[in-house]
Amino acid sequence: MHLTDDQLNEYLDNEINDRAQVEAHVSSCVDCAARLTALQALFDEIESLPELALSKSIAAPVTRTLSGRVSLPRSLRLTVTLQVVAAIVALLFAAPLVQQFISPYLLKIQSLSFADMFLKVQSQWGIWLNMLSQLQVPTVPEIPVVELSSLFVALTVVGVSLLWLIGNGLLLRNQMK
Amino acid sequence: MSAPSDRDLIQRARRGEAEAFGELVTRYQTNVFNVCYRILHERLEAEDMAQEAFLRAHERLNTFDDERPFGPWIRRLAANVCLNHLSSQKIAAELDEERHADTSQRPDAVQEARERSEYIRAVLASLPAHYRVVIELRHYQEMSYDEIAAELNIPLSDVKSHLFRARKLLAEKLYAPD
Repeated sequence: MHLTDDQLNEYLDNEINDRAQVEAHVSSCVDCAARLTALQALFDEIESLPELALSKSIAAPVTRTLSGRVSLPRSLRLTVTLQVVAAIVALLFAAPLVQQFISPYLLKIQSLSFADMFLKVQSQWGIWLNMLSQLQVPTVPEIPVVELSSLFVALTVVGVSLLWLIGNGLLLRNQMK
Repeated sequence: MSAPSDRDLIQRARRGEAEAFGELVTRYQTNVFNVCYRILHERLEAEDMAQEAFLRAHERLNTFDDERPFGPWIRRLAANVCLNHLSSQKIAAELDEERHADTSQRPDAVQEARERSEYIRAVLASLPAHYRVVIELRHYQEMSYDEIAAELNIPLSDVKSHLFRARKLLAEKLYAPD
């Protein structure tokens, strides 16, 4: 009984457990020895294919693409994330102040109909023209004062500044290499 | 001054040095291109996929184990890129039926100067895509049956049947009598 094609393939692929059994059979069977030799010749032909040369190097286009992507190192990405978080927190703290500042104007706008607003603008325009004719500077509405502790303001400024410096410092260090 | 090792280049590339990665590309581009060419058998497509393989490698550089050699990793990744490309192009499906390239004319009949290697390439190209892939992974990337099964996500029995059938077809075409 001869060896199967699967056994010969597995033998040459080093994927058969009982190699001795195959070798013993091949040593006494001319047919199987010839089939094994032919299969080995095929392996040799496949693996002897020379490598083809590239028509042009792909190193430059790959490098260009990567340079365009500007991949940030992990430490810098973390810093940038912290900066974003800090900015959001700062905005959240600032939101009440902004709202307090613009709410009087918003209330006025919301309470007016379009016709009222038109009349208001028209009359305001008349007032402005009158004021201009008298070369008077319009009075600036008083900015409401929000009380914040000076310690809080100082800590916020210092914290944001530090994050900013660390982030940009790392970025610059990377660029200067 | 000796050339930097692959490991040095990889570490520098991880820190964002595109030039260091460019040096790695220079070292391995021929290997990677040949993997792609053996699977795709189209030069321009193979060059595009080789570039794509390096760009993917750069994205996944943090997952690369420094203790292992870079060559087998990038070659395996290139084979995967080509496989995905074939899947997306549905070329694999089109090639499910074994193609019969014009191999009836032997090299000497077509052109006496034609080299044996070109003829072997032509015969390899005539195989269905899934056969070419197992030939690539077994013969050129020296992966075991289990590794190929894991890589292609197919049963071990399919790996063997694809591989043995591919070899049988190759032998039939390469050694067919005139």
